[in-house]
Amino acid sequence: MVEKLWFLIPEMIVFGGAVLVSVLGLSKRKVIRDALPIVAGGSLLAALIVTPMLYDAEHVAAANLLMGNLGLYVKVVVCGIGILLVMMNTGLIDRRLESAVAAGRAKFDPISATRGEFFAFLLLSLTGLMLCSNANDLIWLFLALELTSLPTYVMVAMSRGSKKAQEAAVKYFFLGALSAAIFLYGFALLYGASGTIVLTEMRDVFARQADFGDVSNLAIVGMILSILGISFKIAAAPMHFYAPDVYQGAAAAVAAFLAFVPKFAGLLALMLLLSTIGWENHYRFTEIGLPPALQITLWIIAVLTMTLGNVGALLQTSIKRILAYSSIAHSGYMLIGILAGPGLGMSAVLFYMLAYGLMNTAAFAVLAGLERSGREIETLDDLAGLRQRHPLMAGVMVVSALSLIGFPPLLGFWGKLYLFIAGIEAGHILLVVIAGLNSAISAWYYLGLVKMPMLEQPSARAETVVRGPSLWPRVAGLITAAAVIVVPLFTRNLLKASDAAVADEQVFVTPDTDDSQQLASRK
Amino acid sequence: MSDALHITMLLGQAADSAHAWPIAQPTDGFKWAGWILYLPIISTILCGLCAALKVHNKLPAWITVGLLGGSFITTVALYMQYTEPVTIYLFEWFNLKWAGSEFVAAFSLYVDKLTLLWMLFVTGLGTLIALYASEYMESDVKRGYARFFAGVSIFIVAMSALVLGDNLVMLYLGWEGVGFASYWLIGYYYQKPSAVAAAKKAFIVNRIGDLGLALGLWLTYHYFGTIEYAGIFEQVQHITAGEAANLEAGGWYITAIPFLFMIGAFGKSAQLPLFVWLPDAMEGPTPVSALIHAATMVTAGVYLLARMFPLMELHPAALPTVAWIGGLTALLGATIGMAQYDFKRIWAYSTVSQLGYMFMGIGVLTTFGAAYHVFTHAFFKAVLFLTAGAVMHGFAGQLDLRKISGLAKMNGWKIVSWTMFIGCLCLAGIPGTSGYFSKDAILAEAFVTEGGGFKVLGWIAIITAGLTAYYTFRVWFRICTGPVHFEMGDEHHGDDDHGHNGHDDTHGHDQPHAPRLAINGVLIILAIGAVLAAVPNFMGNESEHVHGGWVGDMVAESSAAGGLPDHTKHGSILGIDPHSAMYVISALVGLIGIAIAWRLHMASRSTADNLRARLLGNPATRWLPTAMENKWYVDEVYHAVIRAPLWILGHTLYILDQFLLDRGIIDGIARIPRVIARMFQPLHNGVLQSYAVSMAGGVGLVTVLVIMLPQLREFLNGLFGGGG
Repeated sequence: MVEKLWFLIPEMIVFGGAVLVSVLGLSKRKVIRDALPIVAGGSLLAALIVTPMLYDAEHVAAANLLMGNLGLYVKVVVCGIGILLVMMNTGLIDRRLESAVAAGRAKFDPISATRGEFFAFLLLSLTGLMLCSNANDLIWLFLALELTSLPTYVMVAMSRGSKKAQEAAVKYFFLGALSAAIFLYGFALLYGASGTIVLTEMRDVFARQADFGDVSNLAIVGMILSILGISFKIAAAPMHFYAPDVYQGAAAAVAAFLAFVPKFAGLLALMLLLSTIGWENHYRFTEIGLPPALQITLWIIAVLTMTLGNVGALLQTSIKRILAYSSIAHSGYMLIGILAGPGLGMSAVLFYMLAYGLMNTAAFAVLAGLERSGREIETLDDLAGLRQRHPLMAGVMVVSALSLIGFPPLLGFWGKLYLFIAGIEAGHILLVVIAGLNSAISAWYYLGLVKMPMLEQPSARAETVVRGPSLWPRVAGLITAAAVIVVPLFTRNLLKASDAAVADEQVFVTPDTDDSQQLASRK
Repeated sequence: MSDALHITMLLGQAADSAHAWPIAQPTDGFKWAGWILYLPIISTILCGLCAALKVHNKLPAWITVGLLGGSFITTVALYMQYTEPVTIYLFEWFNLKWAGSEFVAAFSLYVDKLTLLWMLFVTGLGTLIALYASEYMESDVKRGYARFFAGVSIFIVAMSALVLGDNLVMLYLGWEGVGFASYWLIGYYYQKPSAVAAAKKAFIVNRIGDLGLALGLWLTYHYFGTIEYAGIFEQVQHITAGEAANLEAGGWYITAIPFLFMIGAFGKSAQLPLFVWLPDAMEGPTPVSALIHAATMVTAGVYLLARMFPLMELHPAALPTVAWIGGLTALLGATIGMAQYDFKRIWAYSTVSQLGYMFMGIGVLTTFGAAYHVFTHAFFKAVLFLTAGAVMHGFAGQLDLRKISGLAKMNGWKIVSWTMFIGCLCLAGIPGTSGYFSKDAILAEAFVTEGGGFKVLGWIAIITAGLTAYYTFRVWFRICTGPVHFEMGDEHHGDDDHGHNGHDDTHGHDQPHAPRLAINGVLIILAIGAVLAAVPNFMGNESEHVHGGWVGDMVAESSAAGGLPDHTKHGSILGIDPHSAMYVISALVGLIGIAIAWRLHMASRSTADNLRARLLGNPATRWLPTAMENKWYVDEVYHAVIRAPLWILGHTLYILDQFLLDRGIIDGIARIPRVIARMFQPLHNGVLQSYAVSMAGGVGLVTVLVIMLPQLREFLNGLFGGGG
């Protein structure tokens, strides 16, 4: 147990940060309240710095996790992008209250202040995501997934004062509960089929079952229900319906959070769960690999997700809805990597998640950083001729949209390239072709995001777009856009890191080899 | 020719000309050599920042001069510490894994003496010309100054990558990079339509060459399995050692490699038939013409062929082709240059012509001569261009030979006139000057090397040398001697949309102003360099069997060593030793050319006009001056043969596209996703319950589908007769 706690130090730091901000948020002194994002970002930074120190070979071996090094990559990426998300949310919550207090129109009242809670929820959700990467049993995985999601329901409701946000939060909550029920049922069936909740043991049980013929049907059904339930987290078909409504209802900064954090958690859960049952042609100690039923399920989900996402985005005029559908489509692309499995497939998913996190945050940062008559900009029209009035933000939007299309040499291109290579290597040619066609369709609406700010003349409506009150969302946008341009230079190193995260030999260690006995005796 | 015969010939030729030359080995040291590249990159970024922050002073110039100077010093340091060819690994650039095979390109440097020779003058001249430009461009301080210097810096970055890279992909990066920088700088005066057109022309013509290079690169990778020089050279040395079977297995395309590289080199170095962009490139600011379009970038083609010399020997016809293209380009450039009146353009055609000499040098197996001519030409042509720039700067863009006269007698123009004189002497190849020795190395070798009608080529080159001497001194006598007389140009610094306000001078717009310290200083340094460039020829040789002094040594230890003349078997010109014969013949030819120029353009200028009038008056000879003045109608021919058909094709396709494809097919297809989107829209109605039902339905559907899978499969099998 101690070995596992060792890796939870980053989570503990972030959790400590969450407790701290929730208390500090009630302070009567404005300076302290304004420092909340700094505390939140600081705790993430501390976790970011600590993480690489924790993962050495000895501790990883002792912990005997399914994918021992996964946490290193995940936590570093999550903390890094988490800091950017904190920046984006700076100045969003309690804006009216704070300005009233500053103007002397109202007295600060801790009851109505929500900023501290908001950042606490944000950090808790990130904690849940980080916990997913360490999961070694079903209960842990379930709790980590729910810890990721539950705070986001509240964050959606808090993010804007309007009824729309509350409607979105309620929808999100109920549908989330439904999906949790589905994958919890799936987990229960998996337990029934294997007699254990520990993932490493489950893997051995399934391997033994496979040796005697086939993995039990109970396990297959359990796995399918788990996949479908988790599809909600990653906004994949047929559980994707909520995404456009919820993203539109939430503030842009929170929508960026929703597009990244639960999706990442869901993909991690899929990787861990499917690792127990293996992948075709890649699984080294059984010949069978991922059962055909699961392959077909994932294949259908991937095709449906990317197609519905891209087609759905075509008719939208709201940028948030476009980005919501685009978020659905990108989940479909990432499922190619999940299907392709260990090695390049999963490492490509991890790489793509980083790329998606950066380019998607950049796009939302433009929305969060600009406003029109006191509200966030919303429709495509608001972007018209942005180049003339806010050239930097226009640049950020163009870079992120091009990267989302997969325009070389931006980050999104490399992400897609590796996903597609993984798909081809695993033999899913048709799937990659469909994904390619989808990319072409997606260019239609992404190029709209390029055309409006760069080529159009500003409309009367767009003339009234001004900078938002807080500088930080725009700074986050600039940083992410710069990263989208610069990070491709380090593609190789990143891919090495993500390779190391998933290509852990431990995945393939059979229970009977000497190594694992040594490990067992060390315990 | 049968394959076997072909290969035997090829091997024979390769074995004859191959000296043993070392291939670079990897080293862990010299990591600091990377700063040759990094410093100009930093300079580019800083200048870019200056442009973004609207810095309106000379800061960008000093940044550029300082950092390029640093790069030059680093190069000198590398030269000082150089002992043997090495590759210096900096970092991995990209690494593509694809189904078991890998395509790796490292960012690493291939340092041998050929590299060093090129880098010394690239960074050295780059620094000097940036210094010159700091004064030349000063009227633009409030506008494009930072943009200009960012362009110069990025050019040096790209050129260094081209020369230093240890693999073909890095060379290609630099190749495209210099093309881009050249486009950027030719189009510097982007409000001027002619500059924009010239920039586009340069870029597009270069694309043709680039296509050749790209295909050559791909074939090389395909055949040799690597893009690193060291790996390629090892295999090529193997081939020359006698493994003919290897080559036969290679098939036809290995013999295509040299021709593809050649096309790339012809494009970048402005050879027939791709030379048309270079004269137009003179629309750029003059320092750019001097740096990019005379001294450095255009020699990239020569560098490519010298670096890839072992591959050039893969087909017996490759080198003779290079030689003939080079010789004909030299002649063509010189004849056009004779009949122009814009003297910056004359230098441009002269550059085309001199580049022709260099290619001829490569082709007739004297990479030494080619490299030496590159080296000397870089100096004296830079001098000539910069003097042209000084005149433009002072006379409001006036470049017409007929409108300026007696420059040497004007106040403050002495340095310009006499440095121009030195440059002219070198270009004309007067005995004792650097151009004389480097040109003779090529001319003599043309008579020595057997095959390909090289003797005929040699005589063409000698005639060209005479023409060169004539047009060179035609310019000098017209501009610098004679009665003092000038007309101001109608523009300023090649830019026509602003007045004279940027200057603190007291002359009006109708008075020339003489150049000041930066311009004069650089001219003097370069003129001294041009004179001293003759010295290496007399240095002793360290390597055996090599002559040609320092430059000979620089080439001997590189991949270009295969093209070094073998002096055990000399041919002859008219029965005399070719070198001594050539010293006499070319000196004579040069002096005759100068004498004619003196007669026509100094002693009695009316004679020249009479001669032209008489030629034009006679129907039998009218074509000669007309064709020469109109550049042999090459542009017009290209227009008729290439542009017009393309234009017609383009418009036909446009109409087809507009009415058939766009309206009919594309719009139809584009409507499909939107129709589908409308179909699915009702699903997204915003009602919670319907979402939940859809989700549950989806789950049920997928589960049932998967459970029923075996039955479904049986059913389908039954349906299609067991085929699936």
